[in-house]
Amino acid sequence: MLITTTHIDDIVASISNHIKEDSALLSIGEHTEIDIEQLIKALNIAEVKFIGGLFPKVIHGNTILEKGIVVNTLNHVEELYVVNNISLQNYTIPQINFEKDEGYSLFTYVDGLTSNISHYLSELYENYGMQTNYFGGGAGSLTLEQKPCVICNEGFFQDAAVVCVMRMHSRIGVRHGWSKVKGPFIVTKAEGNVIKEINWKNPFEVYKKVVEAHSNKVFTDDNFFDIAKGYPFGIVKDNAECIVRDPLMVNDKGELICVGELEDNTLVDILNGNEETLINAAQRAAEESVNQATHPRKAIIIDCISRILFLEDNFEKELDAITKTISNAYPNISIGGALTLGEISSYGEGYLDFYNKTVVVGLFE
Amino acid sequence: MKIENHITTILQLYEFSMAIGKSLDYKESCDMFLKLILKRKNFNAAWILEKEDSMMLSTYAIPIGKSIQLKFDTNLKVDLNSIEDFKYFEYSNDFDTLSPIGIDKGHIAVFNLKEQGYLFLFSKKDNITIEDLSQLQPVIDKFTMSLKACKAFKQQQSLLNNLEVRNQELSDYAHMVSHDLKSPLRSIDTLTTWLRDDYSDKFDNNGKEQIKLIRNSVEKMDTLINGILEYSTINKNQIETYDVNLNTVIDAILNSIQVPEHITIIKNELPVIHGDKYRLQQLFQNLIVNAIAYNDKTQGEIEIGMKDAGVFWEFFVKDNGKGIEAVYFDKIFKTFESLESNVNSTGIGLSIVKKIVDLYKGNIWLTSEIGQGTTFYFTLKK
Repeated sequence: MLITTTHIDDIVASISNHIKEDSALLSIGEHTEIDIEQLIKALNIAEVKFIGGLFPKVIHGNTILEKGIVVNTLNHVEELYVVNNISLQNYTIPQINFEKDEGYSLFTYVDGLTSNISHYLSELYENYGMQTNYFGGGAGSLTLEQKPCVICNEGFFQDAAVVCVMRMHSRIGVRHGWSKVKGPFIVTKAEGNVIKEINWKNPFEVYKKVVEAHSNKVFTDDNFFDIAKGYPFGIVKDNAECIVRDPLMVNDKGELICVGELEDNTLVDILNGNEETLINAAQRAAEESVNQATHPRKAIIIDCISRILFLEDNFEKELDAITKTISNAYPNISIGGALTLGEISSYGEGYLDFYNKTVVVGLFE
Repeated sequence: MKIENHITTILQLYEFSMAIGKSLDYKESCDMFLKLILKRKNFNAAWILEKEDSMMLSTYAIPIGKSIQLKFDTNLKVDLNSIEDFKYFEYSNDFDTLSPIGIDKGHIAVFNLKEQGYLFLFSKKDNITIEDLSQLQPVIDKFTMSLKACKAFKQQQSLLNNLEVRNQELSDYAHMVSHDLKSPLRSIDTLTTWLRDDYSDKFDNNGKEQIKLIRNSVEKMDTLINGILEYSTINKNQIETYDVNLNTVIDAILNSIQVPEHITIIKNELPVIHGDKYRLQQLFQNLIVNAIAYNDKTQGEIEIGMKDAGVFWEFFVKDNGKGIEAVYFDKIFKTFESLESNVNSTGIGLSIVKKIVDLYKGNIWLTSEIGQGTTFYFTLKK
């Protein structure tokens, strides 16, 4: 369900009516003209259980919106909680008693601009392992200014994650469509989301040489992102697509600042894609989830904001490819989601990871 | 295999090997290496079972799961003893007792970590190959060594902690005993004073001499107890430092002690150093008092000076006294080691000196010539 009104009482009434006794997942466009604190207060008074986040854009059906609240029902909720102090790595993941033959899905929105997200995901996996599927994304503003961006009954937080564990099967497809231009390279020195050395050399010099040769474009003082948005890094993995890391800017030392962390000695390729490969990948992600599903009740799309920055007007084609694939197989299910700062999923049921420039499609049964 | 794939494989092994040995904490060390393996190889779980006596115990697992404790011999359905380096298995319920996590299908690789137990890698998918495992083997060997180092480090830490506790206990004990001894000593001192004053007409010369001997012994014991108290309060963990002018310190010492008229003290210019005034005064005073006490010359001379020795100041206290035989050079710094019977010598003064010099991470040594004199040298950090 999409809510466009800005009247808090109307919003709360709509959410209550929609979810009834269940809980709500709220994906809110960052330009929605509402007072988030007031909304949380009103939802608490109405005793609505919820988690959510603010995003550069949200998805409803095959429409992308900067304003509005997309509401998804969270059924069979086992646990809703908030994890604070993600960057400080100072938190405890609550224990959950998973029953052996039940299917579980964990949904999480995390402050996409905080540090140590990988550690948070690692803690989730360490505690819950293969007993649940994982699905989610990074909340935050397109201005890339870190501020409160995840919400739950406890309040409005930054440097935090909200989590919902449901007794529910989910079928997840993950794809990005970027392919190798050159590599592998070794990130010989990294700190958080900053690449400080590649192959023991200045990272921008190495990156620039490859990208300029491939793109026939020249980096100037003010066009880094215009070119770099088409040339992300890919962390090399066996038996799966690489994990994409998005270079956002270059600092005056020639270090590359990415969305998402890298560790010392990580092996990376430099990637490139085009409209066709990205849209095909999005469709394959949708197909992957559709092919596994039996009777899904809703679809949630987590798509990286940087894909729209790269595809621009053609992003509609990507969203169309996803929604058509889902609707063709399951015409009556609701489709919602968000354009995020980083995506979360267990890749083909493997270890949990934080992606960039990727599409994650989840069908919930 | 294409050359490009070979390069990728080698570089991936480089990535794995660089994740080993970054920490001496067992869990952290396992986390860094095994989580990376899970991420890059797209595996689902890893755990280590270790042999302790006749039992198999889980020492690490990601995801955490339940802890494993089972008898090594009869309860094991998988013959772990037959694994020389590694072995690949399809999941069977034989693994149920060996796995901290609930698994019902998939693929398992088991590496023999020798004394460090067995490493299990699990994947739901059919993506574990023998080639992968043999490529991983040298890296796993390096990981095994790092686990051994983690345990040795933990053992060392535990020994150090125990030692620290024991030291503290000894120090507390010395402090307590010294305090307890002082009280009866004060009583003896008072009683002998009364005896001497009230019964002086009843004692003959022999009796008076014996009373004097008792009082001398009491005085010596009091000095000794004070020394033990001082020694036990010099604590490495409680050091406050600030700028101290050593010229002022020496002047204060010379004003507070009695320097016999036949002894001349030559004080050279000394620097301002970073330290604790009270400890530094103790250090110099003990050396000066010693130099006075053991001076047998009619014209005694004691010189205090220093030289710049790079990152250290090197000080000396030189006398023209009796001198010390070389065989005693080490012994004199040990607690309660006195070279001769002297009412003023408790055998703890130089131990205190050494402890203070140690506290400031310096060194102390001496040169001496019998009949000619002794020079004590010590260094203090600038």
